[in-house]
This record gives sequence, structure tokens and C-alpha cells, in this order.
Amino acid sequence: MTIEQAEFGRTIPRIESKQKVSGTAEYMHHFTLPGMLYGKIFRSTISHGKIININTDAAQSYPGIVGVITGEDIKKIIPSPYYGPAFLDQPILALDKVHFIGEPVAVVISHSPHIAEAACQLIEADYEELEAVYDEIEALTSSAIVHDELKPSGTFPDLKHLVGRKNTNIALDFHLRYGDSDDAFTKAKHVFEHAFTTQQGMHTPLEPMVSIAVPGDQSITLHSATQMPSFVRLEIARLLGWKENQVRVKSAHLGGGYGAKVYIKLEALVTAIALILNKPIKISLTMEEQFYTICKHATTFKIKSGLDESGKIIARDCKVYWNGGAYADIGPRVAQKSGFTAAGPYDIDHVSIDSFEIYTNRPPAGAIRGFGIPQLVWAYESHTDMLAHELKMDPLEFRTKNILKNGAKQATGTVIEHMETELVLNTLAEKMDWGGTFDRGTGSIRKGRGIAIGFKASVSPTTSTAVMTIHGDGSCLLAMSTVDMGQGSDTAMAQIAAQTLGISTEKVKVIRPDTDVTPYDMGTLGSRSTFHMGNAVKLAAEDVLNKLQLMADKAGLDKNLAHSPDVILQKTYGMQAGTVVGFGSYKPSYAPTDLKTGASSNVTPFWMVGATGVEVDVDIETGHVKVNKMINVVDAGELVNPKIANTQISGAAVMQCGFTFSEEMLFDEGQLTNGSFADYKIQGIQDVNFPMENICVKSNHHGGPYGAKGIGESGTFGVSPAIANAIYDAVGVRITSLPITPEKVFQAIHMKNEG
Amino acid sequence: MKPFEIQFPETIEQTVSLLSNNNSQIKPMSGGTALMLMMKAGVYEPESLISLSKVNILRGITMNENGDLIIPAMTTLSEIEHSNLVLNHFGVISKTMKHLANVRVRNVACIGGALAHGDPHMDMPPLMTALGATIHIKSKDSSRSIPIEGFYEGYYTTKLKSNEIIESISIPSLKNRHCVYIKCTTRVVDDWPTLGVSINSKLNNQVFDSPKIVLSAVVETPTRLLSVENLLQGKSPSDQLLQEAGELASISIDPQDDARGSSTYKRQLIKIYVRRAIQKSLLEKAQS
Repeated sequence: MTIEQAEFGRTIPRIESKQKVSGTAEYMHHFTLPGMLYGKIFRSTISHGKIININTDAAQSYPGIVGVITGEDIKKIIPSPYYGPAFLDQPILALDKVHFIGEPVAVVISHSPHIAEAACQLIEADYEELEAVYDEIEALTSSAIVHDELKPSGTFPDLKHLVGRKNTNIALDFHLRYGDSDDAFTKAKHVFEHAFTTQQGMHTPLEPMVSIAVPGDQSITLHSATQMPSFVRLEIARLLGWKENQVRVKSAHLGGGYGAKVYIKLEALVTAIALILNKPIKISLTMEEQFYTICKHATTFKIKSGLDESGKIIARDCKVYWNGGAYADIGPRVAQKSGFTAAGPYDIDHVSIDSFEIYTNRPPAGAIRGFGIPQLVWAYESHTDMLAHELKMDPLEFRTKNILKNGAKQATGTVIEHMETELVLNTLAEKMDWGGTFDRGTGSIRKGRGIAIGFKASVSPTTSTAVMTIHGDGSCLLAMSTVDMGQGSDTAMAQIAAQTLGISTEKVKVIRPDTDVTPYDMGTLGSRSTFHMGNAVKLAAEDVLNKLQLMADKAGLDKNLAHSPDVILQKTYGMQAGTVVGFGSYKPSYAPTDLKTGASSNVTPFWMVGATGVEVDVDIETGHVKVNKMINVVDAGELVNPKIANTQISGAAVMQCGFTFSEEMLFDEGQLTNGSFADYKIQGIQDVNFPMENICVKSNHHGGPYGAKGIGESGTFGVSPAIANAIYDAVGVRITSLPITPEKVFQAIHMKNEG
Repeated sequence: MKPFEIQFPETIEQTVSLLSNNNSQIKPMSGGTALMLMMKAGVYEPESLISLSKVNILRGITMNENGDLIIPAMTTLSEIEHSNLVLNHFGVISKTMKHLANVRVRNVACIGGALAHGDPHMDMPPLMTALGATIHIKSKDSSRSIPIEGFYEGYYTTKLKSNEIIESISIPSLKNRHCVYIKCTTRVVDDWPTLGVSINSKLNNQVFDSPKIVLSAVVETPTRLLSVENLLQGKSPSDQLLQEAGELASISIDPQDDARGSSTYKRQLIKIYVRRAIQKSLLEKAQS
């Protein structure tokens, strides 16, 4: 088979574009069923306390109310109603205790969401208040203990040592020891230590979380805005003690996910209520309720480096404290799987990393674009810049001298392959004209520029599978559970399938995730789909080709000629008929990290690299920082679709601008004080109206489908430290906590001037 | 949001007859952009809203024979933004609109609501105060016109009674005076202002002639900076005078800490923005 034009590597408009712009695309938010009921969640008003009584009488008797469900009601049908991807610590509705303000305590059910909301206000809960803790550092030593006992899922070997631990808020401790950093520090010519913090923030998908459960005959169907249909099926089946085929999970277009819609969010709740009432039930969160559902970890990161005379980093010690909030969600995996990169993309012989996932009485933190990497890069790239300045070395030269290159070992011991850090750094320097002259500004406006580079290991081990079906006319169905939440995966996968089959992308129809139809996939997260599902799709298409070849041979078609699928099927069945099904399953190899040393010979299937350079204006009279130019350079391997790649980078960078400048969940004794978009500020178009250039360096990942790898997060890595480094360059002050507000910058300038 | 009733009267008379003297749970609504936020947050839970959107007489910008601009209450902010009459005679209003909230809000929000709401963090109240505007008010039994200066009494409180609506605002001709408004936001660009300064001034023989300086957002109500006005009066502009004006402004107000900034930082902003507003005013005047 031949193709006129390569389908892989071509800018093709998103295959769902027309549906979206014409308003015909399906979203769960619009989904209704006859007789469907609506639930509204009643939430805890205290940070930590024992539940004494929940009085639902007034709500129950409110006109139009079908029922009020509490945690105790759920226990009657699900005796152990605790869920979580690594720790079984989160009850479907609060049981015995509440652990944060905003935790779901009861649900009011009505035919009208507005009536449910009105009745919700009539519920009264009495609690016996317990001491609470909010700060990740205070939680290490506080007498307030969030969970009486750790509840890691016993099925994970790396969590077994945590089973039964009491009197601790440390959900998980990850340790890495590479070389001998203690010894190396004693030999270092210079030692510098700094601490950095980041704030709690929120994903802010434009479509808030929404799930619908429809009970059936010994079965349940979930329609959910989820990034992980296969996981939801597994976890709901586990909670109910059912088989996987009794649970059907369907996803739709998502109005953004960013990690907010992974694992269980509302699915267990609607399942339980649907089974109790035997009615279809829908719960849609408001924008504001998302603050109480899943967030971005606040962090404290203490980092210490030892350098030799020439400016080579010989030792680095990292202590990272992740504020996980009241429930673990996937937080422990953030602490581990991102934690092992905490020393940065540098070639350092002696590294020590301790990364702690910590329970506090705040809303839970989990996965969010970058999976913890932006918090780490913020610290290590600010720190790295400070080292360069201490040594009076150019920040680019200092990085180049220390950068981790292919063939060298990362701190886990894994040998780096197909990671173009040097090329990324050089490309950034060239695009920034780093060696050229730079206007430093005059009067109250001072100018500066900064760079930063970060890297991420794709989370491992994970599996993707795909099924490809060819019809009698040669057209093709691609069934997979990757969720297109706006990142363009349907288009990318169709392109990979088309490239392999030798047909045009438009001939491939992608089936939206439906676990009764689409085969298993670990989830749409961590920029894993292009690599993992891309490989599975390619394998499925190759399987189709092999089967077609066998059919062609059997049908006696000329072996010296290429035959299109429709011809082969026609010849085989004598008419337009038949089906060819190909299957692809992909799971990369992986060596688990050692519990004591964090060592692994094969820690990840691929590395992502992202660097950012910015030029800024700083108003020294007010502290306002204005970005004038941003350049993002990433290593994404070969690009499936250059235009989509570019918008993934710009989207990621803009999102990180929010966490750099404005987004911060503010708390007063555990009470969120800015839980609305009037006061929690995401970036507007006027905040990001600076020129942005995104470049993908020439790179090929040999294990990726046609050389591709993930790209969804790389644009987030360097943004925050590049901006802080540029501010330092402009006015000589160092901001060590995010977000960078004008007041913080002004105060730092003021302090510096006061001496 | 709790269920509520909404009515759409078509005349001013019907509207005011639906309002009550003693029930603040019945409220007139213009664009509703601010009210909806409060209702969604559960801060305000009305029984009944009286929408003015069908009262057609409350639209259409005009100018009278004295050169006074008259803007009826239900004129949207974007209608004001795009009005040539406004642009030609009160360029400062057109310019301010470009940076007021965002285009979606401006397409819906109306001048009447923007004036009646009484949130200190708004752009129209200080600007209209500096322009010396008059608010025309109607109730079932009477009509009255009062200067906007003094209209605001505190957070969300104004001289408007619960049975009254704003019918229109009139702005006197600037003649040979010049007016500017600048603001500072500290969270994102299109946030509600942390601080606003409006200056209405003219130079007579190279000296300031009765300048009017209004500060907002860092204070509960738009506030005239009389001491700064007195400092400038009769003096010739100089870098040092402007510096002194900023410094005097910063100590004449006692700003409160809030999510937009600490009191200390706000003082700094007052110092800088009052100076910059005067500079801008002089620069624009020189260029005109």
C-alpha cells in the first residue's frame, strides 16, 4: 500500500472542530435522561472533627425532595466505601470524621437541581471539633493528625511498608540516594542552600466535574466527564464487589481536564445514590465546588548544592514537602514519580532526594498539568540561577556546563536516551539572542531576561490497548479509551492509524471512550497518550495489515501488487462485506525504583524536556512585572501534528503564567477565602498578550510511534523560574515564593534599597 | 442559586410602582453582572428582581444645548464605549471603558447599575465624581437630582432608597478643562481596581486652576483629595510638586489590608498613581 502524503507529521485541523464550533459536540453537562434526578452536595463547614449528628429532617420534608443521602446510607450498600488510586482513604461521603472545609457530607436529591440546592441549606451537622493542621511543614510535627491510620492499598508493593502506620501525617516518603552526597558536600568548594514555596491552586477546566449514573439489571452505566474511563470501571467494580463487565463507563468530549478528572471524582457518589434510589442521577459541580474537589499541591522545597572550583555541581540535596490536603488521591505518586527528578536535568554525581506527601486539613491535591514538575522546576531552576550568580557565571553557561546529556546517568541510575536537553538549551539561547546586547530600561521601568529548563519522566509502568476495525468498503473505526479533552488526541491517533494503514486520516472514525466497546487504557494523563496509545494504535493497525495480507494471499490476489482493504475484502467475501479487526497492546518495559535508594535501571519509557526564556519589564515603583516576550522550546520527539503541538505548548505556558502571577487559593484556618472567580484570578487575554514563540527541536524517540513522545505538559516547566530569573536580572531581587505578585516584588525591591 | 421571581415592566412608572420602601429583597436590576455574582455566591438572595431591560425610554445618549452629556440608566457600557458623541466630548470616558472589566461585561452591564451598585472597586463612580456629574433619581411619588459627589456612603450603600431607581446621569461640559482616569490592578489586568485616580484640571497662565482629584478603591467611597487639590492650586507644575502631591495623597488616606494588597503597599500605589495621573493629565493636555 502507498500513501500520497504522510499523514503523520501533517497539520490537519482537529477532526472534531466542526462539531465544536457548530455546537453539536456532546458534553456530559448537556446530557439528560427521562426521570433523571439531580443531586446537590452538602459540605463540611469545619476543618477537622467527629460527626456527631447530621440533621436532614428539614431538607427531607422540603417540597420536591426525593431523598437525602449521608455516608451511613452509603455504607448500607457499600460496606467499605473508601476509594483512591493508591490509598483507600477517601469515603464516598464523610464517615465518622470530616477532614476539610468543603468535604462532601450529604447529598440532597430532587427532580430540580435548584430545589435540591435550596433544601441543601436546611441540613444541619453537629461536629466535635478536632485540632487541625494546614501547613505542610507544621504537619510534620503537629499534634493534629489528619488520619488515625494510613490506609495504603495493599496491592502496591512499594506502599506495603506504610500499612498500619499511625501518628503521622506523612502519607508517603520517597528517598533517593545516588553517590554519596554527604561526603561530596564536605569536598565542595562552595555550598549554597535555598528554600522555595509554591501555592495551592486549581485546574479550572471550563467544564466542571459532572457524572451521571444509570442503574440497570445487576449493572450500572456511568456517563462521566472523566479522563480515565477504564480506571473508573475497575474502581467502581471493586467498590461494589462486581465484575468489570457489570460496570460501563462512557466519556464524552471534555471541556478541559488538566488532571482534575482523573481517578474517582463524582463517579462513586452517583453510583451509590443511583443504586440506593434505583433511579438515574446526575451531579454537576459548580465552578466554585471544584476548589473542594481536587487541587494543585502547595509545596516547600529545600535545596542545597555543592560546587567545585570550576562551577561543576558535584552534590545536590533535595527535600520536597508536598501539601497533599486531606485525601491522598494520586498525590503520593506525585511525590515519588516526579520526586525522583527533583535535582533537575543536571549531571550531578552525588544526589540525595527526600520527597514527602503530607496530609493536611486542606482540600485534596493531586495530578495537575506537569504532575508536580512545575513546582520542582520552580525551585531547582531558581536555585540554579542563584548558583550561577554566586559564582559570577553566565546562567546559560552555568547550565550548559552542568546539563544532563544522553548517555549520562540520571539520579535514579537510569541512562539517559533520546532526551535533547543540550539542543533545547542551545535553541533557546539562540532564539533569545542571549549573547547579544540587551536594553536594560530607564526610569521606573527596568528590563531583564531569564531562562529555565526542566524535565519530566513519563509515568511508568502503564498500559494502552487499541482495536481497529476495517469495514467492507475499507473505511476504518478506531476504538480506544483515550479521552480527547481538548488536547487533540482523537486527531493525533487517527493520524497514526492512517499513516500505518496507508489511508487518509479523514477515513478513520474515532470511537469515543465507552468501556463496553473501547478496550483498556490506563488513562489520559501525564502526556502519556501519544507515546503509549500511539504505539498501541500503530500495533493495532499493523495487526490489521498482517491480517489483510493473509486474506489477500488466501484470496489469491497478486502478491506483487498492493491491494487496498476494500479490494481484499471484496475478493474474500465476493461482495462489500466482512470485517477485519486488529488489536494492539503496548506496555513499555520498566524497572521499579528501589525502596531505600530510589535506584532503577529503567525508570521511564521517555523523558520530556521544556525550557522557557522570557524578557520582562519591572516597574520599580509598583512592582508590576510585564512579560514582553516568551520563548518555549521543547523536545517532543517527532511531531504528529505540528499545529496541535504548538497550541499544546502555548496552552501549557499560559496556564503556568496563572500559577506564576495570580492563581492562589487563600485560606483562613482552613476556610478558603477566595473560592470564586471574582477573587481567584486566572489569566485573562490582557495578561498574556505578549509575543510567544514555541519551538520543538529536531528529535526522534526511537521507542515512540514514528519517533513521537508526549507534549502536553512540557510548556509548563520553565515558565515560573524563567520569570523569577528575569526579575532578578532586571532589579536584583529574588522572589522565592509563588505567586509573584506586584506587592511581593515591590517589597523585595524596597528591602534591597533599604539595605 | 435560590429560585427567585423576576419581572419585566415596560415603563418607568410600572417599574417604580413595583418597588417597595421597606423591602430590600425586591431590587431593581439593570445588566445584572454584579448582582448575579452576589446571588451565585449566596451573598444576596432576593425575593424578586425588577428588570429594567424592557424600559426602552432608559436608553440613548444625548447632549443638551449647554453641552451636557445625558446618559440614561439602561445604556450599556459598550454603547457608551462606542458612542462618537462621548468620544468627541468626553474622551476620558471612552478610554476608561476600554479597560473596564471585559468586553462581555461591558456588553451587558449598564451605567445605572454601575453607579447604583456601590462597590468601591469600580471605575465609573470616581470618574463621574471628577467630572462633576449629577444623578437623576425617580421614585413612585417624586423625582430628584443630586450630585454624584456625596452619593456614596460606604460599601454597597448609597443615597438611593429601596423604592428609587436611577433614571439617568448628566455630565456637565468639560469646556476647557481636561479629565483623566487611571487605575491599578494587582491580581490580573482586568480585575476590579485596587486603586483608581481621576483628575479634572486646567492650567491658567501655567498654574493649576481649581484641580479636582478623586481617589477610589483604596477607600470605601470615591474621595476628593482636598489637601492635594489645595497643594496644587495656583502652583506651576514641576517634578517636585508632583512628587509632593503623591506623597501628600499617600498620607491623607488610611487604606485597609485586603486580598488586593496591604495597607503599606496601597499607600505606595497612591503615591505613585496620583503623581502619574497628574503627569498624564499634563501630557495629554500638552498634546491636545
